[in-house]
Amino acid sequence: MDSPAGEYEVKLGRLPTLTGKPTHYCAGCEHGTLTKLIASAIDRLGIREKSVLVDSVGCSVFAHDYIATDAVQAPHGRAPAVMAGIKRVEPGLVVFSVQGDGDAISIGLLELFYAANRGEPITIFLVNNAIYGMTGGQMAPTTPQGMVTTTTPRGRDTKYTGPTVDASKLVSSLDAPAYVKRVSLPLEPLPSTYLYSAKGTMECAAAVENAFKVQMMGGFSMVEVISTCSVNWKMSILESKRYAADVLSKVFPPGLYKDKFGVERR
Amino acid sequence: MDAEVCKGCNLCVVACPEKNLKLSPGLNKNGYHPAVFSFHGEKGDCTACGICYWVCPDYAIVEVRRLKPR
Amino acid sequence: MSERELIKGNEALAYGALRSGLNAYFGYPITPSSEVPETLAMEFGSPEFPDFKVFLQSASEVEAINMVIGAASTGAKAMTATSGPGFSLMQEGISYAAGMELPIVVVDVNRAGPGLGNLGPEQSDYFQATRGGGHGGSRSIVLAPNSVQEMGSFPSLAFSLAFKYRNPVVILADAFLGQLKEDIVFPKTVSEKFEAPWAATGSMGGSRHLILSLHLDFEDQKRHSEDLMGKYERVDSSEQRAESYLTDDASVVLVAYGVVSRVCREVVDELRSRGVKAGMFRPVTLSPFPAVRLAEVASRGRRRFIVVELNMGQMVYDVRLAVGGAGSVESVRDLGGMVPTAREIARAAEGEKVG
Repeated sequence: MDSPAGEYEVKLGRLPTLTGKPTHYCAGCEHGTLTKLIASAIDRLGIREKSVLVDSVGCSVFAHDYIATDAVQAPHGRAPAVMAGIKRVEPGLVVFSVQGDGDAISIGLLELFYAANRGEPITIFLVNNAIYGMTGGQMAPTTPQGMVTTTTPRGRDTKYTGPTVDASKLVSSLDAPAYVKRVSLPLEPLPSTYLYSAKGTMECAAAVENAFKVQMMGGFSMVEVISTCSVNWKMSILESKRYAADVLSKVFPPGLYKDKFGVERR
Repeated sequence: MDAEVCKGCNLCVVACPEKNLKLSPGLNKNGYHPAVFSFHGEKGDCTACGICYWVCPDYAIVEVRRLKPR
Repeated sequence: MSERELIKGNEALAYGALRSGLNAYFGYPITPSSEVPETLAMEFGSPEFPDFKVFLQSASEVEAINMVIGAASTGAKAMTATSGPGFSLMQEGISYAAGMELPIVVVDVNRAGPGLGNLGPEQSDYFQATRGGGHGGSRSIVLAPNSVQEMGSFPSLAFSLAFKYRNPVVILADAFLGQLKEDIVFPKTVSEKFEAPWAATGSMGGSRHLILSLHLDFEDQKRHSEDLMGKYERVDSSEQRAESYLTDDASVVLVAYGVVSRVCREVVDELRSRGVKAGMFRPVTLSPFPAVRLAEVASRGRRRFIVVELNMGQMVYDVRLAVGGAGSVESVRDLGGMVPTAREIARAAEGEKVG
């Protein structure tokens, strides 16, 4: 190490809520970053011992291997219902899930909708990478027009399959949810510079913490995290970041869709 | 940094404002080119901004240290 | 409410659950089980049942079973009630609960099928309930009440077994029983708190609780499944329950459960009064099937076993297995929500071999 001599202090260090197990996620996948942001929020808020993670099905199924809280598995799409069951009998617990776009918006749409409609005080982190990752790259409800997937090998035709589904818009159109935010987590290439902006990462960190705070204030919170899936999109890691910035962020504009308690104004 | 956990995804490399990180030509146990850090980067010295720490999907950047303020 | 009531089957079941300390009910209305949630909704908040903390109507049976899973993960006593079509939707959840070793209670008030069927009683969910109740080799304990009295007392038994073995328990009733009104005496209200050190109530003190059913490593899954198999074997050897009525010297033994067993009992009395040595064997647990007792009844001399059920012949296979070559097994079936009359069954018992 070529650092200058002197006394150093640790500015950012180990997170107790991370188990430290090497992740199974593909290189460059936002799941890894999100997992770290969730763990860090849990540590900052000091809620690890009363948090319960509900695993869903998809690349997020192993979240309990990385996040050191209690965990209960849910069948595909059912995490919001399982979370509601837990929270209703044990309201003192902080209950959250990490779900993919297929899990939450396709098979789990009813469970998502009704948990949101009832304003269950739970937190959903919806990883939207516009494809079914774990199963090998099939079309998702969020796959944009023209995107090539294994079940839309000639590009998705939304006239035939229907248009994409916007979960943040749908959920925020209901009365009960208290915090609905969409962030674009991937690094964003800054034109004519060498740099990729990590603004999305920092925004997501704040959103994650706000989401937990909202649950503890009694509200339903959801953070939709635009992500990439370079392996199934058949792009390089950096190309996939570009696609997220150029295409996905236009189809699914990031923003604050609902903030009943005004947590972002503080 | 934990070179064995790094998957060579390059995100820390492209996100670092001072260009303190780059992928090593060598390989780690899993066959990836891990990222390596140098305090004197291409654009400047490390300011301990922490962006690399947050951006890394794998917790390969374990700690960010800064000189204690005098 | 008083200890003794003239009450409908479904209502008795609801009160039975409340009196055994039910914590949470999640369910979707479906005839002929809807009186269960309706009764619970009415009693929700009553100081008489302080343990009953959550009543929530779900948006579907799928949502219901998953909410039950969630609540049970914290060690709470959670239950749902449904009928055939809803029971089918819950199979995934029941399998998950078996894999995750959760003490859930599911009530199926069997109606005619397949498909939408009608609202009459059938026993056609026997296979669905006993042969796993879900994918991947899960096995539920299945209790079959045959009276409103049992509808009232079985929920307590169901929760005891569910927590003892950390396994789903199904109460398989039928549309007739659900709607039948009889006078019963309620068991005392208890507030039994089951110990659940495995429950996911937070990782206080450092150790995490993981309630999972995914074991990607094949060795792990094998070990886990072998544990489950061992558990099912223990259940099989300890929890078989049945009732024998006048089987000691019987030459013809009617085998039936649920509402059919009520008719059969009358048939046995009728036949005995006419000099026919009839008896009845009534399984109370359908899973584990009371094969030991039945084999014992079969071993006391060569007899005719007539299995009377409201389906296309489902329990008859278990009876054949238990009886083996020791006796002859015949099948009398009724379908479409109809229940055979005593006369029809007596004819089969007296007459030539049927089916």
